Amino acid sequence: MRKPVCMVLMEPSPLITAGLLAIFKTSGQNFFFVQASSFDEVEIQLLKNKVELVILNPSYTQNFTKTFVALKNQYRNIKWVGLQYCFYDPKMLANFDAIITISDSPETMVSTILRVVREENLQDAGSTQDVLTDRETDVLKLLAKGLTNKEIADKLHISTNTVITHRKNLSQKTGIKSVSGLTIFAIVQKLVSIDDFNE
Amino acid sequence: MYQSTNIHLTSDIKLSDVIINNPYLLLLLEHFGIEVPLQDRTLKQVCLQYGINIELFLTFANLYNGVNYTPLSPLTIQDTPTIINYLKNSHRYYADEIYPNILGVIHQMAKVNDFKEMALVPRFFVDYFNDVTEHLEYENKTVYPYILHLIERIENKEKDDPSIAYSVVEYQEHHNDIEEKLNDLKSLLIKYLPPKNDQTIRRKLLFLLSELEYDLNIHSKIEELILIPLVVAMELHLKKLR
Repeated sequence: MRKPVCMVLMEPSPLITAGLLAIFKTSGQNFFFVQASSFDEVEIQLLKNKVELVILNPSYTQNFTKTFVALKNQYRNIKWVGLQYCFYDPKMLANFDAIITISDSPETMVSTILRVVREENLQDAGSTQDVLTDRETDVLKLLAKGLTNKEIADKLHISTNTVITHRKNLSQKTGIKSVSGLTIFAIVQKLVSIDDFNE
Repeated sequence: MYQSTNIHLTSDIKLSDVIINNPYLLLLLEHFGIEVPLQDRTLKQVCLQYGINIELFLTFANLYNGVNYTPLSPLTIQDTPTIINYLKNSHRYYADEIYPNILGVIHQMAKVNDFKEMALVPRFFVDYFNDVTEHLEYENKTVYPYILHLIERIENKEKDDPSIAYSVVEYQEHHNDIEEKLNDLKSLLIKYLPPKNDQTIRRKLLFLLSELEYDLNIHSKIEELILIPLVVAMELHLKKLR
């Protein structure tokens, strides 16, 4: 099961709050939420829980723009979604990562929230999963076959320096530096066939 | 790697407490030729008993604890034979004990995990072990005798012999990828090699690799931060006499 999306909800109207919670409950998504009625309370939740997202009524920011922006800057990995049901100055709304309005369909609301949260996750995946690029894979394959940097450069029509850069990245991503270690890695990942090595 | 350390060691601590805190220092004792049990003797008392310069001992022991220690009186040419002896003893531990142990466990692992990829690991390690042996032999047969020869010449106040073209700088270049391949093997085991009935043995293997890595890391620090600067100073001293 996917880990829950944890969020703080800051909305003065009990009616709207109850409606939003009902939509979340029936969405089939694993949402976990706590409520807050001031920025102080929001911050306590940010410190306490693994919150990814805050949904708040933009009116809270009206006379507290500074507090809001300071909080945003302090907690940079938190996403802020405005819950809008009347007209606000577009400048004010620009402070939010996304806006949901009460005329949105439940599906739109849920997908807006997921999109905001996953954008963050996608960036994470890029840096931690360390997927090899096509070019790095090409270099790795030739390296495993015993070619030198110069030979690889000629074969791929790139400079030797570029080959060295690819090798650096390969080592950083895999944690393996030696050619023999990278060869085993290439075989495990089925990038080259093991039969090439059973002389 | 063992992580509860970072304790700054001083001469009046009980050596037994130091070992209880960080058992990896058992290897340090072994390389110095110090025997266990230690009773309640302090570092200073043990060093007196074995005729080891306490400042040298503290420098090495603190390295094991991840602490950079500056000796109260700087290490000198007189400490060099002890350092070389220490390094030779650790070579014996590598060549006769830990590397063969690791190789044995790798063979065991390749027996239970009969994936084709796994068969490459013993070959990888044997090649690596050969490189290491070659490096250790080179140090034992070329570098250490050279250093001992320098000491002899300084003590006899002999002049520099230009016919000896060797310099310790060369040795520094020699001295590199032993730890690199060890890391590669760890990465392969932890991140990539497909599993097959091997979790217990894989864990044993990783622990052995960590033990080796820990000592090897200190070993190269001793060579790079302590031995080589001492030898460079000796070479300079001799050159001035020329």
